[in-house]
Amino acid sequence: MNLHVPIREPLLDVRDLHTHFVTDTGTVKAVNGVSLQIEAGERVAIVGESGSGKSAMAMSLLRLLAHPGKVVAGEINLEGHDLNRMSERQLNDIRGAKIGTIFQDPMSSLDPVMRIADQMVPPIMRHLRLRRDAARAEAISWLDRVGIPDPSRRIDAYPFEMSGGMRQRVMIAMALSCRPRLVIADEPTTALDVTIQAQIVELLKELTAETGAAMIFITHDLGLVARFAHKVGVMYAGRLAEFGPVGDIFARPQHPYTQSLLDTIPPVDQQERRRLAQIPGFPPDMKRPVTGCAFKDRCPGAHRHCFEEAPELAARGNDHVAACWLPEGLGADRTVERPLVEPLAPTGIPGDDRVAVEINNLHKHFTGRSALPWRKPPTVRAVNGISMRIRRGETLGIVGESGCGKSTVARLLLGLDPATSGDIFIDGIAQMVFQDPASSFNPKMTLSSIIQEPLIVTGWGTRLEREDRVRELLGQVGLDESYMHRYPSQLSGGQRQRVAIARALALKPSVVVADEPTSALDVSVRAQIINLLMDLKQQLRVSFVFISHDLLTVSYVADMIAVMYLGEVVEYGSADEVFHTPAHPYTQALIAAMPIPDPAAEAARVQTPLSGELPSPLSLPPGCSFASRCPKATDYCRSHKMVLKPYSATRETACHYAN
Amino acid sequence: MLVYSLKRFAQLFTTVLGVVTLVFFTMRMIPGDPISAIAGDNLSGEALDRMRSQMGLDAPLFVQYLNYLGHLATFDFGNTVTTKLPIIGLILGALPVTVSIAVGTIVLTVLISIPLGTLAAFTAHKGHRMLDNAITGVAMVLDLMPSFWTSLVCLLIFSLTLGWFPASGTVSIDDPAHLLRRIALPVLVLSMAQVATLARITRTSVLEVLSEDYVRTARSMGWSELRVLFRHALKNAALPIVTVIGLSFGNLLNGTVIVEFIFTLPGIGNLLVGGMNSRDYQMVQTLIVFYALIFVAINFATDLIYRVFDPRVQF
Repeated sequence: MNLHVPIREPLLDVRDLHTHFVTDTGTVKAVNGVSLQIEAGERVAIVGESGSGKSAMAMSLLRLLAHPGKVVAGEINLEGHDLNRMSERQLNDIRGAKIGTIFQDPMSSLDPVMRIADQMVPPIMRHLRLRRDAARAEAISWLDRVGIPDPSRRIDAYPFEMSGGMRQRVMIAMALSCRPRLVIADEPTTALDVTIQAQIVELLKELTAETGAAMIFITHDLGLVARFAHKVGVMYAGRLAEFGPVGDIFARPQHPYTQSLLDTIPPVDQQERRRLAQIPGFPPDMKRPVTGCAFKDRCPGAHRHCFEEAPELAARGNDHVAACWLPEGLGADRTVERPLVEPLAPTGIPGDDRVAVEINNLHKHFTGRSALPWRKPPTVRAVNGISMRIRRGETLGIVGESGCGKSTVARLLLGLDPATSGDIFIDGIAQMVFQDPASSFNPKMTLSSIIQEPLIVTGWGTRLEREDRVRELLGQVGLDESYMHRYPSQLSGGQRQRVAIARALALKPSVVVADEPTSALDVSVRAQIINLLMDLKQQLRVSFVFISHDLLTVSYVADMIAVMYLGEVVEYGSADEVFHTPAHPYTQALIAAMPIPDPAAEAARVQTPLSGELPSPLSLPPGCSFASRCPKATDYCRSHKMVLKPYSATRETACHYAN
Repeated sequence: MLVYSLKRFAQLFTTVLGVVTLVFFTMRMIPGDPISAIAGDNLSGEALDRMRSQMGLDAPLFVQYLNYLGHLATFDFGNTVTTKLPIIGLILGALPVTVSIAVGTIVLTVLISIPLGTLAAFTAHKGHRMLDNAITGVAMVLDLMPSFWTSLVCLLIFSLTLGWFPASGTVSIDDPAHLLRRIALPVLVLSMAQVATLARITRTSVLEVLSEDYVRTARSMGWSELRVLFRHALKNAALPIVTVIGLSFGNLLNGTVIVEFIFTLPGIGNLLVGGMNSRDYQMVQTLIVFYALIFVAINFATDLIYRVFDPRVQF
């Protein structure tokens, strides 16, 4: 009788992987000893902030690193064969065939001058040893499975003839077309809108379940992890800090870094609007040797042992490992120190209901040039009849997918573009905080002169008075006075955004327009900026217009939310109401598409992503602009224009069937 | 495409008109005129004036200009001042020599610089700077040598010392072998000046493409680096390369004037020099119209070639 139980060999077994980037200024140890196992069919998410080595780790598996990246040590065993010992030629039989890769940016990941067929068919011919026509048929069937309409015709299209969402579908079809055992997806949805992201994530789930392929999913979005992964690996400073089943990681995170990361996410439940957790300090310089735990300088629980010896991954439960000397990390009572954030009462500041901004029937149309002089030129109605009021001290959140006109509204508010028609009334002045602080500063100017610029332009005060004002502003945004004489390049992303906020506040504006102010930042830094904005709102009673595609953040920051679709506001009301009981089908779809960082809640949600994509803004449908994607649309909707109508005391919605 | 062709035609018309006008007036600003160039000091002032009025050179400048435009519109390019031969015949006879030199130069330049530039980019991308630095350095040295100087050096070495190529003698389009031997040195000299620019732009644009995401995608599907280089990188890098080849034709037409003069080749460059020396207004103006036409034609061809390499280019 044979009682010997065969040990199941994992599909992928990575052991002590080290990847270095040798540069002139030193060696960056991007991956510094990572070991992990992945079973067949498993979806493993790797999370971490930029610079944590998560992408370098994924690209190391197939040696797809750009120069000067190099795998210097470690084993990468795929079905028992060590990829790290293979020659380039041998590895080329693994790439695409055994391991498929999906990259982040669908706009740049497909060859722009080659037809889809010419990119998809040759690898199938080579890896599956098919003839050209059979390979082409195979490619078409994959395009069909990823939801490309009319695939036998579209296979001869060029990438530029497709939208970003469609291109990412093609990318997925290509990565899966040779039936790989493992799929590596490096931030596959980061460049996409939230509704398209939901479609792509569902598609990846379905297809990997069907083919039984395992998946490594690199992301910084903890919500997506909860929706998608079986297991999670948290990376910090080139090493795994924690690894385990998704439910376990979210329910009882063991590493202080994981715990802090989870606490930086705005809570879904508005009753628990705690201040977001902040992770102090910066990640370690990867060029320098680290003694002890890499996280020790930022860890509130660090003790002497942490400075002396680096902790190894140790068991913390079933399949759950963490690299920390503390038995439970920071423990369960880590939220107690963070006070609740008072939301603005729906009536505004007591005794002050002055209006800071009033917008009446605002339009902005961009007119192109027609090919022939007698033809009507193409016109995009970027903003198509918007009316809103923002009270003093109120934060208005504007959400919507790219192309909905939210950034155009910002530019109109600031007078950067003239409106086509309609009025904007601002009591005081408006100032702007841009998405990418790095590119909105003159790199040759000191921070002092950057912040002073609006003061100089308006002839405010003397030089000494202005410098005093700069000190005051730096203090308000939480930067030390010594920063005055630094240059933008000497700052981190979060610090730059603080300076951008200081500059926006210099003239004591009545309204600050922030266009995606946190999108370019890592989650821990994002939390700091959000906290800062909340503090400033309380202290200065300044109104904010917070424009973002990130609904969760907007619902946390804003008092009122306006949901935009194709240049129109389709729902407008108090943040709580809009977020928790959305009335317009588009708002409902947006919220359904938004990943919630809670695996249990995610599992309970019904996943029916909004189908279709934005119609061309050049030819808007005559009726309700959302009708082409709306599950509830009828002929009435397709022929009648919808306008905002009162839905409740504090909410308006533009849907015929909502009321 | 129809709209595009119409636009192109309008562009051709305005370009030629502009060039013709400019040349007409600048030629007349240069001291001396064809009559004094022919006559020298032999004729009296009265006789000169008579000849001028015969040729219509005493009319007001503007009337001369309108007259000239009228002739141009009926494709009447006139005769040379000295030999009274039809100008158009002379140009058509000289054109094949110049075209051979120009095309030969472009072909040689492309054959040398694209592989060199690609090789430099490929090695640079892989982090091996040695070969890249060597290629870039040689290209720079070649770029810095003026054509008239390299011409003389080549003549000295290959024609006078080694005797491989004839330095002068007749040229006929009917004897291609001889033509080839005669134009070999001029083509080499002109290529040396062009190779540097083209190799450098090839290197830059291939290097840029090699770090594009879609190159990594192709690698992730199991293609070797060389296949990716030839199938993906070169095609994507082609646009700036084609642009530079188109632009280099301009430099090349300049260059042909010099090398035709030094190597005594009967091309249109030599006609131009002769025409300038004898202040032959008609000859110079007609040649400039030809040059303008060649330029516009090359621009047009460049645009069409864009479409071959990049489907995103629409007309």
